[in-house]
Amino acid sequence: MAIQYKGLTAALIDIVAVEEAEGLLQWLLTNPDGAVDLSGCKHLHAAVLQVLMAGQPKVNAWPEDEGLAVWLKEAIKTR
Amino acid sequence: MNPLFSQFLLEGRELLQTISEKLLALEKEPESQELITELFRAVHTLKGTSGLFEIPEMTNVLHSSEDLMDAVRDGRLAYSQELADRLLDAMDFVSLLFDILETGEGPDPNQIELAKELSSSLRDLIPVTDLQSGETDSQGEARDIKLPALSDLPEDVRLRALSEAGTGGVNLIVYSPDEGCFFKGEDPFYQALNIPGLLWGRVVPRTTWPPLSDLDCYRCMIDFQALSKAPRGEVLEYFRYVPNEVAIMTLSPTAQSSTADRQDERPTYATKDTGFQRDKAYETIAVQAEVLNQPEDVAYLSGRLQSVAKALSNCLSALGQDPEGLNEALAQALQGQSSQPLRDWLSAYCEQRGIELKPAKTTAPEPVLAPPTSTDTTQAPADRRPETPTTKVLKVDQAKVDRLMNLIGELVVAKNALPYLASRAENQYGVRELSREIKAQYAVINRIADEMQDAIMQVRMMPVSLVFQRFQRLVRDLSRKLNKDVELIIEGEETEADKNIIEALADPLIHIIRNSLDHGLEDRQQRQEAGKSPTGRLMISARQESDHLVIEVSDDGKGIDPAVIKQKAYERGLLTEERIDKISDREALNLIFAPGFSTAEAVTDLSGRGVGMDVVRSTIDRLGGTVHIHSEVNRGTRIRLTLPLSMAVSNVMIIESDHQIFGVPMELVVETVRVPRRAIHSIKKRQTTVMRGRVVPLIALNTLLDIPAAPIANDEDELATLVVRIGNEPVGILVDNFRETVDVILKPMPGDLGRLSFYAGTALLGDGSVLMVLNLKELFRWQFNTKD
Repeated sequence: MAIQYKGLTAALIDIVAVEEAEGLLQWLLTNPDGAVDLSGCKHLHAAVLQVLMAGQPKVNAWPEDEGLAVWLKEAIKTR
Repeated sequence: MNPLFSQFLLEGRELLQTISEKLLALEKEPESQELITELFRAVHTLKGTSGLFEIPEMTNVLHSSEDLMDAVRDGRLAYSQELADRLLDAMDFVSLLFDILETGEGPDPNQIELAKELSSSLRDLIPVTDLQSGETDSQGEARDIKLPALSDLPEDVRLRALSEAGTGGVNLIVYSPDEGCFFKGEDPFYQALNIPGLLWGRVVPRTTWPPLSDLDCYRCMIDFQALSKAPRGEVLEYFRYVPNEVAIMTLSPTAQSSTADRQDERPTYATKDTGFQRDKAYETIAVQAEVLNQPEDVAYLSGRLQSVAKALSNCLSALGQDPEGLNEALAQALQGQSSQPLRDWLSAYCEQRGIELKPAKTTAPEPVLAPPTSTDTTQAPADRRPETPTTKVLKVDQAKVDRLMNLIGELVVAKNALPYLASRAENQYGVRELSREIKAQYAVINRIADEMQDAIMQVRMMPVSLVFQRFQRLVRDLSRKLNKDVELIIEGEETEADKNIIEALADPLIHIIRNSLDHGLEDRQQRQEAGKSPTGRLMISARQESDHLVIEVSDDGKGIDPAVIKQKAYERGLLTEERIDKISDREALNLIFAPGFSTAEAVTDLSGRGVGMDVVRSTIDRLGGTVHIHSEVNRGTRIRLTLPLSMAVSNVMIIESDHQIFGVPMELVVETVRVPRRAIHSIKKRQTTVMRGRVVPLIALNTLLDIPAAPIANDEDELATLVVRIGNEPVGILVDNFRETVDVILKPMPGDLGRLSFYAGTALLGDGSVLMVLNLKELFRWQFNTKD
C-alpha cells in the first residue's frame, strides 16, 4: 500500500500511483485536520499531487529526495 | 528496416497519393459526398497505420486533418479553397516525414514545431462549437497556453535564468496537460520532473481550487512551469507526444529559433521592444562579419572596410557598448588593404564580451545567425522539402505483370514451333542447310525466352515472410487461449516463391498451425509428465529445393497415434471394418486429410470441427503441390508441403492412348517403364505388377477415361506404364505410348468446360494442336470413390 492512513496521519510511501488520489481525497475530506508524512515518498502521481495542492494539508515531513521536496514545498503551502 | 515498416512506407505513400488526387478532384466537384467520404477514409487509414509507429508528428497532423474532413463530411463546414490548401500543405508535410523516415533519421525538432503549427492551422478551420462540445478527443487539439510573465517568477529563479541565459540560453516551459490526461495513463508530474536540462520548476493550479468536496481528482487541473537549459529542440522532442500542451519561450536576446540557441550572446533578458532592436543590432554585426569574409580582391575594398567599421560602431553604440579600438583596426585595415585587422578586432571584441560570433573563416562564410524557421507560415512546407529521394520500388498493377507473363508464356510456346519447322524443312522440302539454320536460331530464341521467363518470375517472386509474419501473433494468441507455453521458431523467411503461391499458402498454414497448437502440443503439465521441457516447440521452416518450395511445420508434441486415427476414421465411416487392420500406419496418418475427419475430443473454437486438414490437402493440390505427414507418438508431428516455385509454366509429359494425346504434369510422374504382359498379375480383379519388390497397382488410362479400348502393347508385348505418385502411393497407368515432355502454359478450360475437374487445363503445342492436361488426382479420386 502506497499510502498508510494512521489516525490523523497519512504516510505516502515509495511511489504513490494514480489510483491513490481518490482515497487520499476522501481521507482529507473526512479528516480536514489530517497531516501527511512524505518522508518515505519517492514519487507521487500528478493526480495525487493535485489533491495535496487543493487540500493543502499539514505536512509533517518532506521527502528525502531534495529535488522532489523543492517541487512539493512550493506546491503545498503549509498552513 | 523491418518489413512492416517498409510496407508502411510503401502503402503510406500510395495513400498519400490517393489523398492528393481526391483533394484535387474535390476542387472540381466540391459537393461530391462520395469524394469526401473516400478522402476521409484514406486519411483515416493513414492516421491509423501511422499510429503503429513512433511518429506522433505524423499522427497528430493526420488526426487534425481527419477531424477537419469529418466536419466537412458531416456538413458542419463547407469545402473551401483555403481548406484544400491547408490539407495539401499537411499532406506535403506528411510526405516530407516519409522522406525523413526513409533515411532512417530521428525526428527533427523543426518537424515537431511544424506539425504543431499545421495541426492548429487545420483545427482553426473547424467550427468552434465542435471543439467545445467536448466530443472530439483532445489529442492534438490546439490550445492557447499562456507563458507567465517573467516578473511572475520568483526573484532568485529569475536571476538564475538570466545568468544561465548568458552561458547558453534558457527555455521557459509551460506544460499544461490535457484535463483527461490521467485517463491516458500519463503522469504529467513525472514528465515535468524529467524535463531535460531542468533548472527549476514548479506546479501551479490552473484556476483557483474549488472546495475540496467538489474536486474531481481525476481531472488534471494543474500546470507546470519550468526552466531548462536544454536546447529548444531537445525540449520539443521530449514533449513530442503532447506538442499542443506545451509552450516554450527561449530566454535570450537574439535567439528565436532552436538552431540559434548557441549563439545567444547577452546575459540579460530584455523586454520585447528592445529585444527586437538588439536582435537587429546583432544581426547587423553578424552581417558585417560575413562581409569581412568576402574575397578582398575588389576595387572598392577601402569603401567596404569603412562602411563595415561604421556599421559596427553604430550597432555597438546602439547596444550601449563602447567600440574601443575599432578605429585603430580600421586604420590598419585600410593601410594593409586587408579585412584581417577588422576581422581580428571583431572576434577579439566578441570573445572579450562573451559574444559568440562564429570565428572568421577564409572559406565560404556561414550565416552567423540562423535563418528564421518554423514561425514563417507563408512558406509552404513543400518548399522546405530537401531533394526528394526517388523510391527504387516500382508499384505495378498485377494485371500488367500478368499480361507480360502471358505474353512471355506464349513466346515460349511459339518458339516450340521452330523445331517442327526445322524438321519439315529437312524432311519435307529436303533443305538441310535451312533446317540447321532454323535450329541455330531456335537455340538463340530459346535462350532469350528462358531468360525472359526467369525475369518475369523474379518480378512475381515474394518472400514467404509475407505470410509467416502473422504467425508470431497467431501463435502467441492461440497459446494464451489454450494456456500452453509455445516457442515459435521461424526459419527461411527470405525464401521466395510466386505471389499466387505465397498468398494461397496462408490459409493452409494457419490450419496446420492451429492443429499443431490444439492437438499436437501438450500443456505444461502433460509435457512435464512426459519428460519434455515445459515449453513446446513449433517450428515453421521454408527452403527451396531445386524448383520447389518446401515448407515444414513441425512440433515436438504428442504426435499422432495411428490406432486412434483408425478408430476415429471407422467411427466416422471413413474406413470399413475390414480395412482397419489392413491399412498401414502411414496410410492411417493420411486419413487426417480426409474430409470430415476430426480427432478432437471436444470441439474447440480453434480447430476440431472436422474441417481443416482436408482444406489443406485440397488447397495444396490445387497449387500443384503435395503434402507429407510424418508423426511419431510422443515425439511430434512434421507436415511438409512441397509446392512449385511458380505456377506459370508447367512441365508436362505427353502420352498417347487410343490415338489421342494427353498431358500429365511432370511433378506426378515417378518413372516410365514398359511392363511385359506376363508380369501383370490380377489380384481381386485388379491388375498389379511387382516393381523393385513392391506391388504396384495398374490401371489403364482408357479405363480411367471410360474409353472402350484396351491398351496397345508394343512388338515385344510390353505395355507402356507411366508410374505416378497419387497420395504418396505409386500407381501404374497403362498407356499406348510415351512422347516427349514439354513446357506449356496451362490455361484453365474455358466456360462450362471448366467444371470438368478431370482436366487440369489445356495447352497449345508448338504445332498448333491443343493438349488436354489430365488432373490425375481428381481422376483417381472419382474412380475409387464411385467404383469401390
